Amino acid sequence: MTNNLVEFNNISKFFGSVIALKDVTMHIKKGEIMCLLGDNGAGKSTLIKTLSGVHRPDEGEIIVDGQKTIFDSPRDALDMGIATVYQDLALVSLMSVTRNFFMGREPMKGFGPFKTFDVNKANSIASERMGQIGIDVRDPSQAVGTMSGGERQCLAISRAIYFGAKVLILDEPTSALGVHQASVVLKYIVKAAASGLGVILITHNVHHAYPVGNSFTILNRGKSMGTFDKKDLSREKLLGMMAGGEELDKLEVELKEIDRLSKN
Amino acid sequence: MSAKSKSIQEKSKDERLRKVSKLKVLLNRPELGALGGSILVFIFFGIIAGDTGMFSAYGTINFLEVSANLGIIAVAAALLMIGGEFDLSVGSMIGFAGICIAIPAIYWGWPLWSSILFAFSMAVLVGYANGILVVRTGLPSFIVTLAMLFILRGATLALTRLITGRTQVPGLRVLIENDPIAWIFSADAFKGVFTWLGSLGLIALRQDGTPLATGIPASVIWWIGMTIFATWLLMKTRYGNWIFASGGDKLGARNVGVPVGRVKISLFIGTAVAATVYACVQVLDAGSADTMRGFLKELEAIVAAVVGGCLLTGGYGSAIGAAFGALIFGTVSMGIYYTDVDTDWFKVFLGAMMLIAVIFNNYIRRRVTENK
Amino acid sequence: MRKIYLTILAFLSWAAMSVASFAIDVIVVSHGQANDPFWSVAKNGVDSACKDMKIKCKYTAPGTFDMVEMAKLIDNAVSQKPKGIVITLPDAAALGKSVKAAIAAGIPVVSMNSGSDDFAKLGISAHVGQTEFEAGVGGGQKMKAAGGKKALCVNHEVGNVALDRRCAGFKKGFGGSVEILGTSNDPTEIQKAVAAKLGGVDTILTLGAGLSGEAALKAIKSAGKTGSIKLGTFDMSPDMLKAAAAGEVEFLIDQQQYLQGYLPIAIFAQYMRWGTMPAGVVMTGPGFVTPKNASKVIKWAAQGYR
Repeated sequence: MTNNLVEFNNISKFFGSVIALKDVTMHIKKGEIMCLLGDNGAGKSTLIKTLSGVHRPDEGEIIVDGQKTIFDSPRDALDMGIATVYQDLALVSLMSVTRNFFMGREPMKGFGPFKTFDVNKANSIASERMGQIGIDVRDPSQAVGTMSGGERQCLAISRAIYFGAKVLILDEPTSALGVHQASVVLKYIVKAAASGLGVILITHNVHHAYPVGNSFTILNRGKSMGTFDKKDLSREKLLGMMAGGEELDKLEVELKEIDRLSKN
Repeated sequence: MSAKSKSIQEKSKDERLRKVSKLKVLLNRPELGALGGSILVFIFFGIIAGDTGMFSAYGTINFLEVSANLGIIAVAAALLMIGGEFDLSVGSMIGFAGICIAIPAIYWGWPLWSSILFAFSMAVLVGYANGILVVRTGLPSFIVTLAMLFILRGATLALTRLITGRTQVPGLRVLIENDPIAWIFSADAFKGVFTWLGSLGLIALRQDGTPLATGIPASVIWWIGMTIFATWLLMKTRYGNWIFASGGDKLGARNVGVPVGRVKISLFIGTAVAATVYACVQVLDAGSADTMRGFLKELEAIVAAVVGGCLLTGGYGSAIGAAFGALIFGTVSMGIYYTDVDTDWFKVFLGAMMLIAVIFNNYIRRRVTENK
Repeated sequence: MRKIYLTILAFLSWAAMSVASFAIDVIVVSHGQANDPFWSVAKNGVDSACKDMKIKCKYTAPGTFDMVEMAKLIDNAVSQKPKGIVITLPDAAALGKSVKAAIAAGIPVVSMNSGSDDFAKLGISAHVGQTEFEAGVGGGQKMKAAGGKKALCVNHEVGNVALDRRCAGFKKGFGGSVEILGTSNDPTEIQKAVAAKLGGVDTILTLGAGLSGEAALKAIKSAGKTGSIKLGTFDMSPDMLKAAAAGEVEFLIDQQQYLQGYLPIAIFAQYMRWGTMPAGVVMTGPGFVTPKNASKVIKWAAQGYR
């Protein structure tokens, strides 16, 4: 039928009298990186929370693998393979890499009431998976606080993938990172998509989104301004469509005008 | 793929890997501060009170008992603190549990073992109440358990006066002899070893030839046992990882599937049960229950846990550290009586020690997490 | 960081050098804190006796009225192997085990102040103090002679067996109706509790001058009932003495706690030298301080000896 992993059709969300989202449609295919763009206040986080099961949509439907679905909780969405990595990463900086990686899903050994957390197995899996991304975890029992921001992002993403995510929703993964670290994370995202995941990348940074995205959905004041393939869109056109692009142009015109008047 | 990761490892061995010796690893543990403090305290009292009898077998058991009593509740408080919450009702629970043991046994004719079991079941109820209130309302546990502190203490006072007309319930000592359970809270262990040491003249004797120190008190055995259990729980089980996670990032942990609510409720039950163990030991030792027992003990337990390396904000800490914190506390509170220092200075020392311990622990923790 | 370590080390060495202790002859374990006006007089007795007898003593007490802690202090004292231990015995059941252990270890024990009924069966050599019941009876009789019919006995430490007996003795000696009012040891709370009961009584007996006596006096004065309600108290305090000198208080029962601190030390000093030990109770009270002799006692109380 369709090769859409997930379809969000005509999603609306209201908070009292406030229309946070109206009629937003988004489809994710296997191996696709969909960039969700929009300025602050456009409704990106509301949309993400609806997609990941935190909010129930007031209108519209969610279709996973061809089946209409309702998420009762974030756990539901997680169980269906939709993993969200929020900005705070859900990592405890005082805990070790291994403990963070397996938080909530610790491997066990032994039997009966004496089952223990198989720390050795967990350590080796964690370092191996991180090594695959290209991050050398010198000692997996070291605290996550010793890792850089980019490494932590990769850890959170790697964790989601390891535990069977089919669709990865990443909320502003590069916003707090420097140029080099951002590129490490983006490279990993591309790799993840190449292995068959669908990725929704939320960001307000066009320069990060444009190189890696296959398609772009732009939100403006709760409404979708459409989904565009990369081949139909240039970087400048994209910037212009986001709220602020027009205003910056207007500002430029006004500044030129002021400059001209002052020279007279 | 794997060749690539291998080469990365080799490269990093050159540029960024320092020989992290076992000692360095040890120095970064949360227990370090409390261990160092214990050693310092022992050296201090060894110098100024070495020949006073403080470190004789009898004297040592004396301050170890105080440490053990505090250690029992400190270990549970540490687990709860790592899980991100506080229990201020522990002291009141001690008083309440003591009355639950004493009144049925003395006034209603219950066998002692059944009142002990009754006290433990009340502990589970109180702990559950604390936990469910904190989890459901989302209120800070500080407030919820503070309210429970008053409720329990008031109930203890009111019910005791109602049933007995006074605030103490004496007369339990005779009931201990033939009771099947009571001995696990009151008997001395290794009695034989001490008698043997006495016969060799290595430890002080009474006038009838039996040793002054009769054995290792039950409270010390409980303290050590509970610390070992708590440490195993924290480090070797998935439940332990859940405790760290619940304290470190409640929301994030829930999002990855950690049953944060259940973990916290069980931790509150843990502190209430520990308070009841304390009460059993104390009531059976004194032979009586008193409505004011346990007053302010919850603060001491928190101090011991903090000195032992537990972060007040949760997600980090150690049960062994709390055990050392309790050891320091007990040694100093008893040791000060062996010196000529006015015992009022004990409170000054306590505050200063806590401050030093927290500053030191903070330093260690920053080294652990900011090693970029 | 190194500076902090060095500072701590320096402080510890200084502290260690200044508090190195020497062998103790007699350790006093009392339930009375030295900052209590009553107990500071007893402690003065201990200190004077130590100086006079030329022996080394130490006065210790738990931070609060906590029998469990006090038993621990007795155990502590035993481990220091003194020549003798002086204790107060407010609760024989709770302290019995530790007392018996001390005696079994070969350290003689003398009790003071409280425990006149229980000391003998624990093996304590002698008791120095005032037997509570008899003192209460004396007080009750005096109040009856003054014309009292309905009385209030204010107990600020319910559970302290000695205090319980004072009220019991008072009841016997008084003859009329006596209500026992249990309070905390917070002066404001005591004053309020007494004030609430003023309507139904013509006599009040308090068991501690500085604490409950003064609180009751304040309550009576605020209600304007000085003279119509007769106030008597156990023990003494500067303000109660002044009130007695002014005729506002019928009597103060002086158990002469200075002697309770002094005599046990003197007893042990002689025991250490010649092995002598009195048998039974050495009575230090009741001594009645009335408006007649109050002014002399005031002078001595200000010096800390009465």
